[in-house]
Amino acid sequence: MPSPRHPLGDHSLPYTVHTELDSDDEVSLDTDTITDGDNITASPSSRGLHKSRPPTFNLNLRHTVDLRAITYNGTVDENLVCPICRCPFVDPVLTDCDHVFCRPCIDDALSESQLCPIDRLPLSSDAVSRAPKMIFNQLDALKAKCPCCGVVLARSMLESHLEKYCLEAVVRCPGAECVKLVKRKISGEDCLHYPMVCPDCKETHDEIDMEAHRENSCNERLKACEHCSAEILRCKEEQHEGECPDVVQPCKWAEYGCQDEAKRKDLPLHADECSYKAMGQMAETLKKEIRSLRSEVRTMNETHHLQERRIKFLEGGQRASDRPLDMMDLSLANLPESTGADALESGHEYLLSLLEAQQGRLSQLSAEVSDFQAKSTMMLFNETLPIKNELAELRSTQQVTCMHVRWLMRFRMQENQRRFGGGPGATSNGGSDGGSSSDLSMGRRLSDSLTRDIITKL
Amino acid sequence: MASSQKRISKELAEVTTNPPEGIHVSLVDESNVHNWNIVMDGPEGSPYAGGKFKLLLVLPNDYPFKPPKINFKTRIWHPNVTFDEHGSMCIGILKPEAWKPSSKILSVLTATQQLLVEPVPDDAVETSAAEKFKNNRAQFNKEAQEYTKKYAK
Ligand SMILES: [Zn+2]
Ligand SMILES: [Zn+2]
Ligand SMILES: [Zn+2]
Ligand SMILES: [Zn+2]
Ligand SMILES: [Zn+2]
Ligand SMILES: [Zn+2]
Ligand SMILES: [Zn+2]
Repeated sequence: MPSPRHPLGDHSLPYTVHTELDSDDEVSLDTDTITDGDNITASPSSRGLHKSRPPTFNLNLRHTVDLRAITYNGTVDENLVCPICRCPFVDPVLTDCDHVFCRPCIDDALSESQLCPIDRLPLSSDAVSRAPKMIFNQLDALKAKCPCCGVVLARSMLESHLEKYCLEAVVRCPGAECVKLVKRKISGEDCLHYPMVCPDCKETHDEIDMEAHRENSCNERLKACEHCSAEILRCKEEQHEGECPDVVQPCKWAEYGCQDEAKRKDLPLHADECSYKAMGQMAETLKKEIRSLRSEVRTMNETHHLQERRIKFLEGGQRASDRPLDMMDLSLANLPESTGADALESGHEYLLSLLEAQQGRLSQLSAEVSDFQAKSTMMLFNETLPIKNELAELRSTQQVTCMHVRWLMRFRMQENQRRFGGGPGATSNGGSDGGSSSDLSMGRRLSDSLTRDIITKL
Repeated sequence: MASSQKRISKELAEVTTNPPEGIHVSLVDESNVHNWNIVMDGPEGSPYAGGKFKLLLVLPNDYPFKPPKINFKTRIWHPNVTFDEHGSMCIGILKPEAWKPSSKILSVLTATQQLLVEPVPDDAVETSAAEKFKNNRAQFNKEAQEYTKKYAK
């Protein structure tokens, strides 16, 4: 039933509940909030019998596990037991005197007296720090029993188990309007918190409790079976009908023609002497045989189809490998087209062959690359060889020239000295822009720079 | 304080499932774990042997931060127990200045047992008994045995 949206009316309160009666006497509930554009509307209950109430928005029930109340599987190492509360540590802390306690326990102890509860040494709350990680790990690994469903799991997992998974844990009823709590295992269904009349005693109970009521507490829950007169639960009557020993049933070979009927408890007796027994048994075996043959045929058909598909694929693959290998044709998109749509279906094999084809191409490419490399190395070598020879030749020529120049220079200098009677440093070399010096070592350096000049000119 | 009750329940379970020799523990009232009835056999080798001594152990609400109180309900002539209807006992580990929250009731009970074997006359509350224990051990043993026969049968 769609909710009649209320026009903005009385919004003096954050949550306003309007209640009105429809023509069919159903109570519709419309809840508006005006918390800064945040407009939450609870949809009206389809059953319409829930009373108006302020909406609750804390949908998830918090299960804060009391770790001191849970039971552990097996005995817990005495070193992991708090000397104050005698439970495995909860939020353990280490004191400066090397004792471990639960944080709440040592807080309580220190508020009584500022002494260590074990050795009575002076202890202040500043001398207490978080216990080593190792202790936490050991505690997390303790095997704890879920207080709701009893399953055994690591203590560290308990909270999330209760919050998300435990089927026996209590959660909010899924009904949009309902504030009641239900066990998680039935929380996937609709809200069952509506009154129903018990068909046996006519009392009114919530639907969610009806099954338990009819099985355990209903005053009219029992009746005598009309066949065997045993006491049975009314709600289990049909189930009993299927197993009551006094219910009359046809012979089990009825479909082969036996007309006899007997009480369930007497049927085995009749079955032994039934005249249709031989035929019935034969028919049963034949039926079984046929069934197994059919299933065999089915599996063979399947294998046949599979093989056919494989053949088709292989043919497709053949065609693909017949094509000349194009150097640029490496994209995946080109192969499936050539092999055909049928081959696509044989999943793994197809992908495998694709991979093989690509690998083949890759190895061919790498072979070509190395080939090319070798060729280019040869070419380079061939081209550089004459250059190297030329260079060596040039070097030797240059050395010869150098010697000549040096010899000539020395000869000139000696001549100059002889001619002017020796003022050192008074000469300059004609035709050269190098520095001037008459002294021999300088002359050598000069000759070096001259050679460099000559080389560059060459 | 709920956590104190949990600890007491644990200690009670420990003592009842695995009781120390010569000590029997039960609750005065099943709904209250703070009051324990103790029945202690007089230890062999002491003048109290053969006697059964009733004690009342009271655990305060702030146990284990405060020590339990223990009294002899059966009269006992002992240097460290008052020879009257209170049966107040003086024992080291229960003194407030010596009590450690980590001590267990079990160790209190065994210490009490030990006190019957070895009185501590220097810390006496029953001076006449202490006097005789120190100066005339035979007389002390004889009198203690007589009182045991008289009261602790
Ligand atoms: Zn300490
Ligand atoms: Zn603790
Ligand atoms: Zn669970
Ligand atoms: Zn509900
Ligand atoms: Zn009923
Ligand atoms: Zn029946
Ligand atoms: Zn038949």
